[in-house]
Amino acid sequence: MTALLEVRDVVKHYGGIAAVNGATLDVEQGSITGLIGPNGGGKTTLFNVVSGFHHAEEGTVTFAGARIERHSPDRVARLGLVRTFQQTKALTRMTVLDNMALAAPRQPGESLVRLATGPRRARAHERAVEERARELLELVHLGRHADDYAGTLSGGQRKLLEFARALMLEPQMVMLDEPMAGVNPTLGHQLLDHVESLRSSSGTTFLLIEHDLEVVMSVSDFVHVMSAGAVIASGPPREVRSNEDVIDAYLGKHGTRE
Amino acid sequence: MTQLLSLDFWSLVGVVAGIYAIFSLGLQLQFGYSGLLNFGHVASMAVGAYVMAILVVKASFPLWAASLAAIGAGLLFGAALSLPTLRLRADYFAIVTIAISEIVRFFALNEQSLTGGPLGTSNLEGPTQVTEYNRSWVAFQSTVQGWLHGLIGSHASSDFTMLVIVWVVVLGCLLLLTPITRSPWGRVLRGIREDEDAVAALGKPVARYKLQSLALGAGLGAVAGLLYAFQFQFFSPDDFDPLITFYAWLIVLVAGAGRMWAVPIGALIFALIFSGTRFFNFKPFTYLDAAQLAYLRYMVIGAILIALMAWRPQGLFGKREELVLE
Repeated sequence: MTALLEVRDVVKHYGGIAAVNGATLDVEQGSITGLIGPNGGGKTTLFNVVSGFHHAEEGTVTFAGARIERHSPDRVARLGLVRTFQQTKALTRMTVLDNMALAAPRQPGESLVRLATGPRRARAHERAVEERARELLELVHLGRHADDYAGTLSGGQRKLLEFARALMLEPQMVMLDEPMAGVNPTLGHQLLDHVESLRSSSGTTFLLIEHDLEVVMSVSDFVHVMSAGAVIASGPPREVRSNEDVIDAYLGKHGTRE
Repeated sequence: MTQLLSLDFWSLVGVVAGIYAIFSLGLQLQFGYSGLLNFGHVASMAVGAYVMAILVVKASFPLWAASLAAIGAGLLFGAALSLPTLRLRADYFAIVTIAISEIVRFFALNEQSLTGGPLGTSNLEGPTQVTEYNRSWVAFQSTVQGWLHGLIGSHASSDFTMLVIVWVVVLGCLLLLTPITRSPWGRVLRGIREDEDAVAALGKPVARYKLQSLALGAGLGAVAGLLYAFQFQFFSPDDFDPLITFYAWLIVLVAGAGRMWAVPIGALIFALIFSGTRFFNFKPFTYLDAAQLAYLRYMVIGAILIALMAWRPQGLFGKREELVLE
């Protein structure tokens, strides 16, 4: 196994507070990796650093062999590393289908020059994009909402839309920030089924932040635990579950075990 | 009341509407599609008009070449406007744009040797010489007038000819803008309007699209500036007051944000209101003198804007549901 994503000693402050303080972790190629830890532990900040939305003050981020810690978010995404957001970012005054189609990579119709020189090619590509978008929408049970404004979707449906939209990029790796928050349990489990089947069919790598420990432990091959800005434990779910530091981080030093 | 029946008068109203339509199409692209709060749009009009006049008068450019250069200058000006957007949030960008438009106007007021200063284009070659930048335009207009004579007879006055020319340009702009705003390119712009972080996370270079939107919008502003200069044969920095920007905002908001084809209709409504107040020549308006009557138009426009925001905040052709979605 080789690491697709390598994070080394990343430090990121917000106004004097070290949100991420020397975090180091690997995400293996083709794995489903969980990122857990108490609130305020730095998980989302680490996502922001890896995806290029914030730049780390120290440390390196390597994706598929390329250093990306100074990359802009769009450049990271074009490399095949796509993220979703904890607070969903549905483009509300656009249709669900447009949300999906926008995400498709390498569209000739997105360039004014190529629109002018090859309008027919742009249209043909657009039809293919729409077809793929509808397929993915069916997968997350949003097919009948394709022509509705994304702003009419519920919170859970928006999570599903973001997930499907990320897949439009044909990514090598997807980082999901609490993909199941607000999604009804049945759909949530279907979403996890999709994660697993995509991993086995296309070899897509997943890194997910999730608060439901049962879910994380059951779906992940590997788990990292972040607390106070650092990765305090890493390992297969069974090991991490019994790690003393992890229990302390979640329950406090004097907490008692169940 | 004879004015009400005069073709020339209505031609003039139509010309003003057409120029404002082109000008507002630029703002519609920038704001309605890309969500960029440009409160200094009038600067692009000033750039277009001044670059053309200066090149014709001072550098003896032929009019067509000067006009192309003026549109090019407008595109460049818009592209330069995108620099502050890279770092500024929407509201701060709005403040910067209004400042930039005032900088352009004050530059034109003070850089007398280049622009003619407060006296405007009549002073381009100093106060003693009469300057004209639009001789070739007048010639072109009479050629077109000749064609129109052949088509519809002697009704084709020079005002009517200008009306036809301006609206052909409006139509051309619409035929260019409608397909590109409905294309995947336009979809990226609408995405940026909704949430630029989401669009960046999907791999789109947001800054490049903002640059294109601002450049094209300012290019349209420069075209409007050219037509304005041709129509009035003379202009000064006062013609590019910030108020002009807000007329374009009024037109876009009346028409509905994100609706290209609605802009010319908004511009027509605006021009009708603006010139319509002169027909208030019955009681009680006869108690007002001409100057007071002229100010009445601003009150009417203000009242219409308030009424619109209260009853139809999405504009005449907008969709209400687009306003309530979060």
